[in-house]
Amino acid sequence: MLPLLSITTFLPIAAGLLLMLRPGLSTKSVHTLSIGATGATFLLSLAIWAGGVVPGGFAQVEELAWIPAVNAAYRLGVDGLSLPLVLLTTLLFFLSAIYSARLKDRPSTFVVLMLMLETASLGTFMALDALLFYVFFEVSLVGMYFMIAGYGHEDRQRAALMFFLYTLLGSLPLLLAILGLYLGSGTFDMRVWIETQPLTGFAAMLALIAMLFTFAVKIPSFPVHTWLPAAHVQAPTVGSVILAGVMLKFGTYGLVRFALQMTPEAFAKAGVVVLAFGVLGAIYGAFAALAQTDLKKMVAYTSVNHMGYIVMGVAVAALTVDPKIRAVALDGATLQMISHGLVTGALFFLVGMLQDRAHSREMGDFGGLLGGVPWLGWAFILSAFASLGLPGLAHFPAEFQIFLATLQIQPWAIIAILAIVVTAGLYLRSIAQVFLGEPNKKWASMPDLDRGEMLVIVPLVLLIILIGIAPSTLIDMIHTTMASLSF
Amino acid sequence: MTQLTLTLLAPLLAALVIFIGRRMPEIFALIGVVLGLVGAVGQLFGVVDGQTATAVLPFLPDMPILLIATPLTAILSLVVATVATFVVLYAVGYMRHDSQRVRFFGTLLLFVTAMQGLVLSGDWITLLGAWELIGFASYLLIGFWHDRAGVAAAATRAFLYTRSADLGLYVGAFVLIGVAGTSEISVTLTAATGTPALIAGLLLLVAAMGKSAQVPLQDWLQRAMAGPTPVSALLHSATLVAAGAILLIRTAPMLPNGALIAIGIVGGITAVITGLIALAEKDLKRLLAASTSSQYGLMLVAIGAGVPIAALLHLIAHAAIKSSLFLGAGVFQHDRDGTDMDALAGAGRARPGIFAGFALSALALAGIPPLAGFFSKDAVIAAALASPAAAWLVPLTLAATVLTGAYMGRALHVLWAGDVIEKPKPVPFMAAGLGVLVALAAVLAVGFGPLEHLLDVELPTAGFLAPALGLTAALSGLALGWWVEPQRLMGPLYGWAQRGFVLFGGMETVMARPALAIAAACEHLERWLYNLVLGFGRINISLGWLARKIDINGIDGFIFGFVRKTIATGGRARKLQSGFIHREMALAVIGMAVIVAVLLAAPLYS
Repeated sequence: MLPLLSITTFLPIAAGLLLMLRPGLSTKSVHTLSIGATGATFLLSLAIWAGGVVPGGFAQVEELAWIPAVNAAYRLGVDGLSLPLVLLTTLLFFLSAIYSARLKDRPSTFVVLMLMLETASLGTFMALDALLFYVFFEVSLVGMYFMIAGYGHEDRQRAALMFFLYTLLGSLPLLLAILGLYLGSGTFDMRVWIETQPLTGFAAMLALIAMLFTFAVKIPSFPVHTWLPAAHVQAPTVGSVILAGVMLKFGTYGLVRFALQMTPEAFAKAGVVVLAFGVLGAIYGAFAALAQTDLKKMVAYTSVNHMGYIVMGVAVAALTVDPKIRAVALDGATLQMISHGLVTGALFFLVGMLQDRAHSREMGDFGGLLGGVPWLGWAFILSAFASLGLPGLAHFPAEFQIFLATLQIQPWAIIAILAIVVTAGLYLRSIAQVFLGEPNKKWASMPDLDRGEMLVIVPLVLLIILIGIAPSTLIDMIHTTMASLSF
Repeated sequence: MTQLTLTLLAPLLAALVIFIGRRMPEIFALIGVVLGLVGAVGQLFGVVDGQTATAVLPFLPDMPILLIATPLTAILSLVVATVATFVVLYAVGYMRHDSQRVRFFGTLLLFVTAMQGLVLSGDWITLLGAWELIGFASYLLIGFWHDRAGVAAAATRAFLYTRSADLGLYVGAFVLIGVAGTSEISVTLTAATGTPALIAGLLLLVAAMGKSAQVPLQDWLQRAMAGPTPVSALLHSATLVAAGAILLIRTAPMLPNGALIAIGIVGGITAVITGLIALAEKDLKRLLAASTSSQYGLMLVAIGAGVPIAALLHLIAHAAIKSSLFLGAGVFQHDRDGTDMDALAGAGRARPGIFAGFALSALALAGIPPLAGFFSKDAVIAAALASPAAAWLVPLTLAATVLTGAYMGRALHVLWAGDVIEKPKPVPFMAAGLGVLVALAAVLAVGFGPLEHLLDVELPTAGFLAPALGLTAALSGLALGWWVEPQRLMGPLYGWAQRGFVLFGGMETVMARPALAIAAACEHLERWLYNLVLGFGRINISLGWLARKIDINGIDGFIFGFVRKTIATGGRARKLQSGFIHREMALAVIGMAVIVAVLLAAPLYS
């Protein structure tokens, strides 16, 4: 039996090492290698999907001794929470590799960073050993730091440093929580932590607070979200796609995997506070996005809004004792992670494509583009409507479940649903300003999407529609795990 | 089952073929709607035979997509399919010279699919999904001529108004699903009683007010006239706006008294207010739009009076009447390049055939026997008379009936009284679509009896009082409209009505401005937070600089000095070295102490 999970995880970095050993490669062969490696990784992840998940635990587990003295081991496995995220990760990196094939400036370093990030992201989602998880979690920071600092826009140094310090300082409490859980159980095996929940009472609450802090920075949740817009504005397009599409999910993944599954009792006590932060983040993110005139910054703030819904879903799952409602909330929260990755990924790609053409992201600079660049325009309109939660597109089934569960458990929190009107307003305004109205002569010669860009956007748009009309393709797998949670 | 599939899939597949093939959009659109109509007719025959067809598709765990053909949904589905077919037929002529026909017919068919999904939905998720999708399709169709000035704003407004109200449907559906534990509509309607039913009922009313353009959410509908005329005929008279009334008709069995009274009052007030707006309107299409709100107000009166069947009859009659009125207006619009009343003066006399159709529909809407509108309006008035809230509902209903006569009378007068300035060309497709709908508007009433039989309900009878009152009101309204100028008729209300009875500066002031103010405040807080973090970072960086200075001047100086001294003092250095070892050891001990303390404390927290 092939260790499919390990091969998937380390194939990208292996390709990256190969690149480092062969420095003289032409730009074209660098990108060919990058597309080949990420494409193969994507296919491998489909094979993992074919392997499936099992109720009440992890499937396809791979285990190797690592540091036996402290019971830390190399352990990988997947369940209904991590497998969808693995699929999202390999897809977004594959598309990012295709998109960055046009990069001529120091392509080799960029590709190595991207491949390293892919390995770190896949490892974070699949690790079943807390020490291993932490290593992957931190390595991803380094990759993203250099990607922003090396390939970003004007003010990239400061944004990169802010991102790095923020998330590095943010992740230290998680380390403390991990040590606490280790001391309580004598092992770093996350499966044991989930089954036995080694901490109780005050210690569990302390560990939970530490974890919540780390994941709140990563998600990012109000009020520790300020690094996000700064990082997105300066990051290159691919950096933004990976950051929003994949790396923000570390936070929500950790929120479920660590905070909810390992300290459920403490989470139930603190649930209302977490829920309140989720509600606040959802509403605040929507209004802050409404205030933006820079398209990329606007999309960045809608991430704060969408991630707020996920926090709500997880908090509701912690608060309820009814396993049926818990499954609804967690199904919704997990699907929302995937939907957000696809939709925001598409939006960042599209804004990047617009910026490549116009060297501007200010909504006011445009107008009436739809006639000249219909593919770009319609792809943006569709993604925007997906982002504002239109039924038939990816976000609706996820948000529907989150709100449905929320109203049953904490009716006041349904106030967050107001945000869907605000996001509707801000997206319609941006569509009207950029794509509708009388055509601006300045952009009359703007070219529409070329073949490479179509290869990136069309799959995303199709998947957004597929998940919108047939969410059962993913949600049945998610539900297998979420319906069998026991705590 | 087959018919159900055909009704939904035929327009959907036609839309996909149009978008992908990009050729002959008219042909495929006609095939799609005609097949859909065949399916809807078959469906109705099915339910007449007593079969209830259902289709189940997987969606969410324990919450599948459910489509269902009951007598009520099959009738509504047939109404949608019929109007859609003849509007598409008309649009073949109307859109003949437009270069974007592919997009037009594709989107129109997507709309028809979503509307069929709405009327046939058997569960709340499908209903909610279709509800929002018809709003989206409507946005695309209102914004069809997107490069013209003002069009984007009209489309944006329509979507935002309806979406704000849709929150009512979202939360209402959540309440009902929570109470019943299932998303199946029929089950939730029997499971909800007492307070949850009242809350859900009021929330659903909010959603219906948005879609059916009821006061105070009415003004998006008039501005939606920026879209092509077939769009106005299909969406903004017979289908999209119908969604609100359909929702309340379908949920009527659940609605408790409190909700019914609220529905009746909202409907009655809307019927009068938008009737006045229609009378003061200077643009024919906008007049018809305001009239649509008014007629839906009457349907809400019937629902509020506890007689949803009367609302259903009026909905069906109005669908045929109003779409034919719009199609007539579209023909005049083609002739005169606009729908301003001054520009249209005499346009009717130039085309007597089209004018006859338009006039017949206008009289039907006013409620002149034996046209369909007479019977349906009669049913509404009878319902209001029999209602416990009759003291409120009857005067409002009669006032709305007078106003209906008045604005239709005025429109007919304008179209007929001016000079003929053109020699119009024949418009076969438009005339065909219009002709069939007018015929329906005239004779539809013969179907009302069998319909009541099929639904197994009876209308309340009010003897001769209801028809007498209705006919008097209609005739006096028509006479006033034909002979008296609206300025004189309305007096001081005229100016206000022309501005759409705006209160407190309208929705812009009440909703949009506070939203933008909150957004600005958030942005302010955002800058503050950012600078706070940056300031924190700066302090760290200054600390770093300080440390570096200390390093260079202090420690480095110390070390270099130390090295010099070491060299100078030679052999005595050994003592200092031992000092270093002490420090290392001290550090090691402290470190061990911390670890031991943590380990020892483990039982305390495990």
